[in-house]
Amino acid sequence: MILRLLTALFLLLATTATAQEEKPGIQIGLSEEVVEISSSFSGTEIIIFGSIENGIAEDLKAGLYDVVVVLEGPRELVTVRRRERKLGIWVNGTARDFIDVPSSYSVASTKPFSQITDAEDARILQIGLENLSFRPVDGGIGDPLNAEFAASVKRLKTDKDLYLERPGGISFLTPSLFKARLAVPANVPIGRHTARAFMFHKGKFVESQFLPLTVKKIGFEQFTYDFAHQYGFWFGIICVIVAAFTGWLASVVFRKN
Amino acid sequence: MNLYLPIAEMSVNVLVLFSMGAGVGFLSGMFGVGGGFLMTPLLIFYNIPPAVAVATEANQIVASSFSGALAHLRRAAVDIKLGIMLLVGGIAGSAAGVVIFSALREAGQLDLIISILYVLFLGTIGTLMVIESLGAIRKARKAAESGEEANPAAALPTHRPWIANLPFKMRFERSQLYLSVIPVLVLGFLVGVLASIMGVGGGFIMVPAMIYLLRVPTNVVIGTSLFQIMFVTMFTTVAQAATNQTVDIVLAFILMVGGVIGAQFGAHAGQKLKGEQLRALLGLIVLAVCLRMGWDLVTTPDELFSLGTGGH
Repeated sequence: MILRLLTALFLLLATTATAQEEKPGIQIGLSEEVVEISSSFSGTEIIIFGSIENGIAEDLKAGLYDVVVVLEGPRELVTVRRRERKLGIWVNGTARDFIDVPSSYSVASTKPFSQITDAEDARILQIGLENLSFRPVDGGIGDPLNAEFAASVKRLKTDKDLYLERPGGISFLTPSLFKARLAVPANVPIGRHTARAFMFHKGKFVESQFLPLTVKKIGFEQFTYDFAHQYGFWFGIICVIVAAFTGWLASVVFRKN
Repeated sequence: MNLYLPIAEMSVNVLVLFSMGAGVGFLSGMFGVGGGFLMTPLLIFYNIPPAVAVATEANQIVASSFSGALAHLRRAAVDIKLGIMLLVGGIAGSAAGVVIFSALREAGQLDLIISILYVLFLGTIGTLMVIESLGAIRKARKAAESGEEANPAAALPTHRPWIANLPFKMRFERSQLYLSVIPVLVLGFLVGVLASIMGVGGGFIMVPAMIYLLRVPTNVVIGTSLFQIMFVTMFTTVAQAATNQTVDIVLAFILMVGGVIGAQFGAHAGQKLKGEQLRALLGLIVLAVCLRMGWDLVTTPDELFSLGTGGH
């Protein structure tokens, strides 16, 4: 990983050196392009590093440039159900669907969001959990019920470590070079994730860049999952054979005792 | 020691699951029951999704009933003809159960129905067991005082006339019974539905029903019941894997290994306790699990909302 980091860092610096344009911008790199889930996987950390390019030297030194980095899981349709009391028992009652909900969302920034940009920009760019909005299938965003249900999505995902905010989680290594650490939880969703970096200068949004990150199961886990989902019947047969063999083995082993 | 479960898609502690398997295996060896009705609630308490817990538990029961059925087959303590008739009902029931399971899952009510069924069944069975065994303990004590031998056969009720009057009679040579196939198929069917929806073998229903309703001789009851449970849970495992993809082979294997080891020690411990004391103890455990599940249904939950994927 260190080696990969250094290579990527070198590439970054190389592009910085060759960039001829004066236009300020941002470049990013990831410590890993693929997160592999094996049987011992219990979460990891992704390091996103990057540089602010063609920045004004004095402003860079004075810390007038800010960066927000977001690592987002594949978007999906989510159903939120509310338990309601019926005949003394808590049952799933009202349900609302939301589309394009990030399955995971982890954000880090150089400063607290309110100090980076104004509320308007933060909302448009959907920076920070507070500004993340989900599109309801029934009723508008203004519907108070939808607002309550959408808020519960954020709360539930935060409880499961899927949604995470780390204001101040980005540190500058040099005035223009930064590094962000983003946690990848044990229950990270499988699929194509996106790492996005937003650059701000004196509170104004300048540019954003993104890189894909693949999260996939490997080896036995991958094989088992794929097999179980593509050939359910044969997977069931194998489960039965394994169970019958275990049962038979137990009866043989313990009969001798 | 953490392990990632490929189907449940979560990281679990192997030692905790192994201990759960061994603990329930110990109890099932001690009491001579399958233990599915204890294992599935425990898995749910451990945050395994109920859909995965139920289907995986059916797979584990294949292992425990297979070794049990083998032992009974070796001693010829199985009425194979009766077992096959129970199995015909059982497979139909299991198939129906898988369809109901999928529909409930889509409607978002699967977890609730699983909990309610558990509370109802465990509550009824637990109460009956405690009452019956306390009665038996009292009777044994009285008999010991008066110096008489307790006669367990006297407790059996006379043959219910409505069952004797049903048509489509069949001769079951091994059990020396001439019996209508209707109650046999219905009993098999009910147990099959329970295997799919609750992840239990259903021995706790089938054994008393065979003894009290069908009047099957006690020496073939357990073997025949295990014979049916083995095939029904095999069918359930394949049906759940093909329809709902909820059988976690890794989870099932950990539980199987824990279960078969625990059962050996349990069987040993069980020989030191009297039958009625065992039944009273098991009844109390069953009631405790029932209360824990019932409590979750009636108390105001900390979190009212839950997430699902795929729409409603």
